[in-house]
Amino acid sequence: MKTRDEEALLSHIATLLGSPEHAGNPLRDALQDLYQQHCEQREQVQRLINISDRYQLLAMEARQVTQARYEDSLRRQRKLSRISDGYQALMRDRNRALHQASTHDPLTDLPNRRMISERLEALVNERRGFTLALLDIDHFKLINDCHGHDVGDRLLVAITRTLSTTLRDYDLCARWGGEEFLLLLANTDLDEAQPIVERLRACLADVTICTGDQKLSVTISAGLSQHRFGEPHQATIKRADQALLDAKRAGRNRCLSNIS
Amino acid sequence: MTNMISDLDIPGNQSSPAIQSDWQAGRLAMQGDSYPENSYELFDQVIHWVRHFLSTEQRPLHLELALVYLNTSSVKAMMDIFDLLEEAFATGREVSVDWHYDARNERIAELADEFREDCSYPFAITPVKGEP
Repeated sequence: MKTRDEEALLSHIATLLGSPEHAGNPLRDALQDLYQQHCEQREQVQRLINISDRYQLLAMEARQVTQARYEDSLRRQRKLSRISDGYQALMRDRNRALHQASTHDPLTDLPNRRMISERLEALVNERRGFTLALLDIDHFKLINDCHGHDVGDRLLVAITRTLSTTLRDYDLCARWGGEEFLLLLANTDLDEAQPIVERLRACLADVTICTGDQKLSVTISAGLSQHRFGEPHQATIKRADQALLDAKRAGRNRCLSNIS
Repeated sequence: MTNMISDLDIPGNQSSPAIQSDWQAGRLAMQGDSYPENSYELFDQVIHWVRHFLSTEQRPLHLELALVYLNTSSVKAMMDIFDLLEEAFATGREVSVDWHYDARNERIAELADEFREDCSYPFAITPVKGEP
């Protein structure tokens, strides 16, 4: 029943019960009791609804609090992962940089002694053939002494650039010492290596750098040795070094092979 | 000063940050890399100190950080500390952070900035020339 209709009915009943003309009616007491009971029940139902509403409200608030806590903890978790990932990436990059620094020469960015030695050892273990060329810039000390170390460094960098662009992809060139470079020509014998190194020497002799109004260029001496199966790579290097010494003694600007 | 707890002065090493607290000055400082074995044990002391200072004192609290690498549990601990500061700041307390980083390593600043994201109190990220 609609509230308005109910109110109208109750008000009608109350008026009937209060009216003196119905005072003697035999149904009046029964109606009075019924009216009373209805009003009490109505009040009970209203209280029940109120209690139920309050419970529902509490439950909803609790759910909202849980939801907010969950979202907050999710957000924190994401932030934690994000920052932690950032530090991990930082560490990975630092490792990569350290590895680069430990295997490369900082001035020329060429592989260093350590890296080419590892590569040579691997080739020897795999029983693969190779020829080594040890290159040395003739009279490099004079350039450092006459023009200063910065000019010497510039020359080294210019030589290195030409070296790197002239070599085949599978060759490896390392900075072996101050002005010495060790060239690893894999799967190459002495006869194939000689023209390669001669061509390279010609290219390097064409490299010039300017200092003041002067143009500087250098010549290269080279010593070659082919790896002999069974010998350690140090022995092959030693023979290349001997050939380089021979080339220097023979007047520099030449390429000699160790075949002894 | 009956509520004052003893100050922290933990020497750092390769994997653990150096930590100093100064109750009188309202200052807490941490420097170095942080990937210690006993991460929770280490940072629990720091969190305890911060919590205690904020609940007993009304004076300002300032953090001086020069942290470099942090592992995950250290990141978590720092987030907890920054949250404590945020709570205190919300009640009107004066708190601040200054995070120093090596100017050559900009990525540390980016990570510090990620920490700062939820902080409404003064949080400076300052480059230092050369070694921090």
